[in-house]
Amino acid sequence: MIIYLLCFALFLIGLYGLITKRDLIKIILASGIMGYAVNLMIVLFGYRRGAVYPILEKGKEAAIMVDPLPQALVLTSIVIELGTTAMLVALAIRLFNKYKTFDITKIRRLRG
Amino acid sequence: MSEKQGLTVIVKTVSRAILAVIFLYGFYIILHGHLSPGGGFGGGVVLALGFLSVLLAYGRPTAQKWLNIRVLHSVESSGPLLFLALGLLGLAAGGVFLLNTLGKGRLFDLWSSGFILPLNIIIGVKVGLSLFLAVWALTEWDPEKGDDA
Repeated sequence: MIIYLLCFALFLIGLYGLITKRDLIKIILASGIMGYAVNLMIVLFGYRRGAVYPILEKGKEAAIMVDPLPQALVLTSIVIELGTTAMLVALAIRLFNKYKTFDITKIRRLRG
Repeated sequence: MSEKQGLTVIVKTVSRAILAVIFLYGFYIILHGHLSPGGGFGGGVVLALGFLSVLLAYGRPTAQKWLNIRVLHSVESSGPLLFLALGLLGLAAGGVFLLNTLGKGRLFDLWSSGFILPLNIIIGVKVGLSLFLAVWALTEWDPEKGDDA
């Protein structure tokens, strides 16, 4: 149970950064931390104590394995997160292009 | 300014020395995706990091000279089409999408997975090139030139 709570704490750290930071790059990093926390939690759902990784190899006995399904899902989630981060970075670049700053308190007026 | 592109000579030398090892490791992970942890996505990320080390160490103009970006774009775009063609091959042979038409081979051999190996290679090349080209598109904008570049 404690590991899930730690994941939630990591998620809250990301949320804290997302809400309180003014720098756009730090906000993007904070959203990444939130994503990592969620991914870690999903992987930990499939974890079993003392289990081996879910791949058969030569000379390896069949034993209790961790659940491979969350790992496959997290792989997809990582890709989507990557796309989201790339889009956020592209938006940040466009904003810097217009305003010459990453400070969101100075990005207020719409300029053409 | 044009000759001072990129990072210091230390970074350039180290990245030039290590580049082949990065690509070898990426291809190893792609080719052994069905036998060990890894596969198309993980190996593709390693390949993208190899390309990115060129871009970071030498700067954008030199990398543009070394890499044929148009060809890379074409290869990246043809990845899904190849994947679809392999899937339709199974459809033509047995009536099921992505049906394995290759032999299964011996267990734990490199040729033991049928279609998974070519699909892993396609995915690896596609992932590696798209990650690299995404960062390449992000570096297109020059902060000194502003909107015009």
